[in-house]
Amino acid sequence: MDVAEIISHHILDHDWGVTLAGFRVPVTTHTVTLMAVSLVLLLGLYWISRRHQSRAGRLLTTLTEEYVSFIRDGVVLPNMGPEGRSFLPYFCTLFLFVLFCALAGLIPNMKTATANISVTAALALCSGGLILYCGLKFHGPIGFLKGFIPSGTPGWLVPLIFPLEIISMIIKVCVLAIRLFANMLSGHMVLICLLLIIFVVGQMHIAAGAGALLPAMGLELFMTCLEILVAFLQAYVFTLLTSIFAGSVIHTH
Amino acid sequence: MALGPFTKQDHLEITTLGMEFAVSEILCAGAGYWLDQRWGTAPWCLVAGAAAGFALGLYQILRAARQMTQDNAKFKKAEEKKDGRR
Repeated sequence: MDVAEIISHHILDHDWGVTLAGFRVPVTTHTVTLMAVSLVLLLGLYWISRRHQSRAGRLLTTLTEEYVSFIRDGVVLPNMGPEGRSFLPYFCTLFLFVLFCALAGLIPNMKTATANISVTAALALCSGGLILYCGLKFHGPIGFLKGFIPSGTPGWLVPLIFPLEIISMIIKVCVLAIRLFANMLSGHMVLICLLLIIFVVGQMHIAAGAGALLPAMGLELFMTCLEILVAFLQAYVFTLLTSIFAGSVIHTH
Repeated sequence: MALGPFTKQDHLEITTLGMEFAVSEILCAGAGYWLDQRWGTAPWCLVAGAAAGFALGLYQILRAARQMTQDNAKFKKAEEKKDGRR
């Protein structure tokens, strides 16, 4: 049994290699998961937004309204101020998308798309674009660039500080991507490693494998619960950090 | 000097600082390594990149610390004003 191969098979993306009329369509497990999550969100939210007579429908509508209020009052307004109100749809979408991508990975036969650095980099690029747009919209190109120089900086230090601040902002966006990627990847690695304990111990002796079954499954259950918590936490952190960075660009000192 | 009280945003920024330090080090050292491969100057650009990454990481930590100290001072002033009014 090659443990490394099993772990990489569980974690990595798999290309199904579909070629249509000489054109290679990049169908991979992660892109399929992304499409599935997008479709579920699109259809689900469309259904929720309609007027409902049933009790369940009304409950879901109320829950969604509560969710939007939470993002508005807990994330966007405290960090971005009233200027952030127009960006509320982006933050609501971002939170739900990151959350559902992480939760989809806990469904058997589905993969966590956010455990792929390309996906998180694309999400971070979107957030970087929003930060850039906020700066340009509220301060104009010159004002936006001026905002990178901290107040009270001596004139001779400006040529040194300015590139440092620009690189710092780029690094912050990179960190957004790496944090989400690392958390999702490590969680799933731990999950598969805990399961593999049974088989690794079982190879030594079948009775030892049977003995390891219960503790390993208990740990697996605990980690799965922890993964659900991490899914919510990381979605919240990603949204909150994006709003903090956008807010720092809008309200420069 | 007493630290705190920290806000939720402060906590998040503190947890981000370590990763920012690592990413700036890796990015700058990586850029130095790439330049070394291109110009055949190994290992000088890598060493310079690593040093620049370290300096950038330190700068980010110092800036965050200064920002938090300023925010704290503002917060304490506002609290004192509130107490004075009472």
